[in-house]
Amino acid sequence: GVPLHHGMPEVCAPPSMVSAEQRQHAEHVFLSFRKSKSPFAICKHILETSKVDYVLFQAATAIMEAVVREWILLEKTSIESLRTFLLTYVLQRPNLQKYVREQILLAVAVIVKRASLDKSINCKSIFHEVGQLISSGNPTVQTLACSILTALLSEFSSSSKTSSIGLSMEFHGSCKRLFQEEGLRQIFMLTMEVLQEFSRRENLNAQMSSVFQRYLALANQVLSWNFLPPNYILSLSRATQNVTLKPTESWREALLDTRVMDLFFTVHRKIREDSDMAQDSLQCLAQLASMHGPVFPDESAQVSYLAHLVEGLLSMINGIEIEDSEAVGISNIISNLITMFPRSILTALPSDLFTSFINCLTLLTCSFGRSAALEEVLDKDDMVYMEAYDKLLESWLTLVQDEEHFPRGCFVQPAIQVFNSYIQCHLAAPDGTRNLSVNGISSHEEEEINELQEDDRELFSDQLSSIGMLGRVAADHCIPLLTSLLEDRVTRLHGQLQRTQQHLMASSDLGSVDRKVLDDLYEDIHWLILVSGYLLADDPQGETPLIPSEVMEFSIKHSTEVDINTTLQILGSPGEKASSIPGCNRTDSVIRLLSAVLRTSEVESRATRASLTELLSPQMGKDIVWFLRRWAKTYLLVDEKLYEQISMPLSTAFGADTEGAQWIVGYLLEKVINNLSVWSSEAELANDTVELLVTLVEKRERANIVVQCESWWNLAKQFASRSPPLHLLSSSVQRSLMKALVLGGFAHMDSDTKQQYWAEVLHPLQQRFLNLINQENFAQISQEEAVKQEIVATLEALCGIAEATQIDNVASLFSFLMDFLSSCIGLMEVYSNTPETINLIIEVFVEVAHKQICYLGETKSMKLYEACLTLLQVYSKNNQSRKRSDATAEEDQYQDLLLIMELLTNLLSKEFIDFSDTDEVFRNQDQGTPASNRTVSAADVVLYGVNIVLPLMSQDLLKFPSLCNQYYKLITFICEIFPEKIPQLPEDLFKSLMFSLELGMTSMSSEISQLCLEALSPLAEQCAKNQEKDTPLFIATRHFLKLVFDMLVLQKHNTEMTVAAGEALYTLVCLHQAEYSELVETLLSSQRDAVIYQRLADAFNKLTASSTPPTMDRKQKVAFLKSLEEFVANVGGLLCVK
Amino acid sequence: MADADLDFQTGDAGASATYPMQCSALRKNGFVVLKGRPCKIVEMSTSKTGKHGHAKVHLVGIDIFSGKKYEDICPSTHNMDVPNIKRMDYQLIGIQDGYLSLLQDSGEVREDLKIPEGDLGKEIESKHEAGEEILVSTLISPSSSSALCPERPLLFQITVLNAMDEEAAIGIKALGK
Repeated sequence: GVPLHHGMPEVCAPPSMVSAEQRQHAEHVFLSFRKSKSPFAICKHILETSKVDYVLFQAATAIMEAVVREWILLEKTSIESLRTFLLTYVLQRPNLQKYVREQILLAVAVIVKRASLDKSINCKSIFHEVGQLISSGNPTVQTLACSILTALLSEFSSSSKTSSIGLSMEFHGSCKRLFQEEGLRQIFMLTMEVLQEFSRRENLNAQMSSVFQRYLALANQVLSWNFLPPNYILSLSRATQNVTLKPTESWREALLDTRVMDLFFTVHRKIREDSDMAQDSLQCLAQLASMHGPVFPDESAQVSYLAHLVEGLLSMINGIEIEDSEAVGISNIISNLITMFPRSILTALPSDLFTSFINCLTLLTCSFGRSAALEEVLDKDDMVYMEAYDKLLESWLTLVQDEEHFPRGCFVQPAIQVFNSYIQCHLAAPDGTRNLSVNGISSHEEEEINELQEDDRELFSDQLSSIGMLGRVAADHCIPLLTSLLEDRVTRLHGQLQRTQQHLMASSDLGSVDRKVLDDLYEDIHWLILVSGYLLADDPQGETPLIPSEVMEFSIKHSTEVDINTTLQILGSPGEKASSIPGCNRTDSVIRLLSAVLRTSEVESRATRASLTELLSPQMGKDIVWFLRRWAKTYLLVDEKLYEQISMPLSTAFGADTEGAQWIVGYLLEKVINNLSVWSSEAELANDTVELLVTLVEKRERANIVVQCESWWNLAKQFASRSPPLHLLSSSVQRSLMKALVLGGFAHMDSDTKQQYWAEVLHPLQQRFLNLINQENFAQISQEEAVKQEIVATLEALCGIAEATQIDNVASLFSFLMDFLSSCIGLMEVYSNTPETINLIIEVFVEVAHKQICYLGETKSMKLYEACLTLLQVYSKNNQSRKRSDATAEEDQYQDLLLIMELLTNLLSKEFIDFSDTDEVFRNQDQGTPASNRTVSAADVVLYGVNIVLPLMSQDLLKFPSLCNQYYKLITFICEIFPEKIPQLPEDLFKSLMFSLELGMTSMSSEISQLCLEALSPLAEQCAKNQEKDTPLFIATRHFLKLVFDMLVLQKHNTEMTVAAGEALYTLVCLHQAEYSELVETLLSSQRDAVIYQRLADAFNKLTASSTPPTMDRKQKVAFLKSLEEFVANVGGLLCVK
Repeated sequence: MADADLDFQTGDAGASATYPMQCSALRKNGFVVLKGRPCKIVEMSTSKTGKHGHAKVHLVGIDIFSGKKYEDICPSTHNMDVPNIKRMDYQLIGIQDGYLSLLQDSGEVREDLKIPEGDLGKEIESKHEAGEEILVSTLISPSSSSALCPERPLLFQITVLNAMDEEAAIGIKALGK
């Protein structure tokens, strides 16, 4: 112990007492001590004599490391006695420092684990010993016992928490599997005994409840055990969060015993007021609620288990007032059981029980919803009820989506209740309770909201989806409810605006207007429109949204009672109150709800015309156009072919060739035009508005109606003249507006009209641009603000035009845009001082390539390649003199680089996606321009671009995720598409490309690693084709062979990459067979264990058996990949060491 | 019909010192008048008071002459003044009594611009002096120094900004030989 006690004071002394050097030296003493050979005797001596905690800690660590290191050399009996010594040591010293005690117990756990697969040594007695400690009844000893069990649990879990002991993953996996069959269950039984014992006691003192709490936490750990299924390879990279309980069959007896579940309910009842413990007990129940898998012998066992759980849950919840700290836990139990148990099991519950459960769930949901609303009013940091409410609403969605499995109509009443309570929480008093605190006092604070805050429709989209779905289930109730509430609010809004207008006529001071009443109405309308939007329609990405079947059925069911003319009259009179129209009670409710929104829209528009815009809510404006867009996508020109049955009112009002559809298109168009001129100062509202416009014209059928409207033509002219108010719109809105105008131009029109249309829309753009840049003094005036704005507006418009590309308009749009591209290149020089303009110019090219290249035939592609090449040349020239402020090394400084890479990637994408018509190619050949004569190829452009990009992409830049992703996407594409060009790269470029690949493979995200692996096969194939050895590429691939080999065999990869790595390995092996054999030999010769050696050798033989000699043949490659799977399963865990 | 609009006013005739623009139409990197000073917009963000409030624009600008920072917040519907900025490049041919001698494209020399204060002024002076020295040494011993530094620039270009009746040099750049 002498050297240690020398080092000790320096390590432990306060910083002021010793120098950093002294401390470092002292630490070194300890580190080398821990590596010394067989330190057992000296360690025991230290443990018995030293009084210094830190030294004790180091001694325990030294023992642990040495046992593992010298395991094979040690006598089994001495290991056993060492373990006994350590345990006894801790038992005899109740006053040890906690960290010393834990370290010693860790050593015990490691020894037990190391011994568990060793038949010559028996450490199982530990459970017996611990059992005795527990039954001692002494809280200190019981606490110690708990620590031992916790240490065992974390060692055997073989997770990231586990100590590294230098053994294979296969070893760790086998230990875990063995443990979960025996040890773990013993721990569980011991824990249950303790919990049983404590739950019986009347009064628990502080010390006893602390023991109770520890065992409860331990139970939670056991129930959260990530069971390793048979034949499953242990992988450290697997995420272990939110593990559901899937025990093996052997746990049947232990876990299906109803007393187990009862005990947890009892325990929870006892401790529920202690918020820390309650979390553990509820988590235990939530784990039990997630139980599934082979533990259940059959369905009936599952049904009775679930029934017991639900009964317990109901009797737990009923008759208590739920604590704040219980909300999330309880919702987890419910959510788990609804998610994990099959529908057939849920429906097999006794019907009384099922009904009680649904009723309880309903009440709970409504109650959590109200509490969540309170939390919002109080602006609490920790929104426990909101979290619980979200969970329950999600569970409802799960249930309701599988409605057909459940008794018909069983969710209608619950849906009504949950829906009503949601609406109530979101409406102002007196109908609702919004912003009411517990004592009924309303709070109304105006907080500052910044532009980054998400809109409610996104922020609460999950809640709204669930509520919308429940609203469909109870459509009979919910649709009329929304309609009448919305109609009422709009009438009140109308009245309030009128009164305010009169007030203003008298005083004309806007500041004197009380906005409280208005804001309350706006907020009511806001939520009513959001819920209506989510109820009436879905917003699926990339597919045609359908009218939800519940809504369709609802409309059909009532269609016989409906007077279609009155319905149409209400729809067509948004200026009137619906209730003022005779017969308004006999209208279609779905159309009536839309009419209510149109009425809102009309009140808004009229207010703007009466110069009351400042009184309006831009938020409500957004809600209206958002709703109309969502609605139009689904209902406007409803396609009857898509539905089994169609509602007459809906098809009469919105079907193709109906007056209703024409009227509504005209109305929406007017709305858009009005918004764009009134709301140019509200960027988000303008954006939502222009998106509605795009929706109206992106479908040919809708566009055909749009272009018949005179206002559409006026809009086009107004935009083309770039005059107020449209030119005030933000650039992104202008871009989308241009896109919409171009899309509209491809609607059905006679040829004269069409010609006239383009003359109105596109020609002015061209004309203005040419007039400007052809001015003699353009170079002088180019920096003037007005000129710059004109240029920027043109570039934005060009992007918008490119975005409007569709297969049937590409020919004309391409020619139009090509005329601009060369002029744009000229602007690169003129605006070399303004990076944002440069970026915009490159963006035009990016958009054109992105949207059009896949449709272009050979000649046209070549034109585009040429233009891009010129752009790159100018970019490269300007870039040499460009200064970037390194001080603010921010991502947007490199926007140009990102765009250039995007452009190159887009050009390459033609090799994957090509819709071009081959006719054009044939025509060209007839004209005597064979393909070999082409001047510029995609490869030329891209490689030229890579020459520019590679030197600029430093490792620092790869830290920016967007640049990094784009870069690797690009270089992988190049290797895959033009492998023959890689050897021709200049030496330094070649080197940095290879370095990039290695870096990407070894130290980037798994996605990028996969990309790089995919790039290797084509490179290796390229080498094989050339048959030249000792070329730089040949040498590089040899290096990659070693990398991929290590990655696969030593399991330094994610399992999802096995296929990509396997393909790369196979082609590399074909290329470098001798080197591969050498790698295998080296690996085998380093194995000391004869058994492992044999297993590995056999595995390697099998791996290549089907492909000897390996050739680059698809069949062989597939065979190899199959063998590789087996290889990884057999020996993958042997070589990966932890 | 819109042909009249297509014509672009060029030259100085009738150009006022500023023109109005709706606040929401301003852009980052563009220009605006803040607290009476012509500024380049370096930061622009919007916010609103309450969920149903109207957008307000928060602007941060740097005075194009003094480099001072100015901030302003205003409703996005308001009109802001945007300075008409002219940017001119002249060749520097001398420095006298704290004034720059600048050669215009027309061949005339203007000598009414002061050397700017601060670092830029010092940079202009030292670069100009260094240029003179090289010029002198090249004349004396043409072989040695031009061989050592053939790319060494002798001529400099001064960038001058003019906005709101104020004019100042804001940059110096080497001109290729």
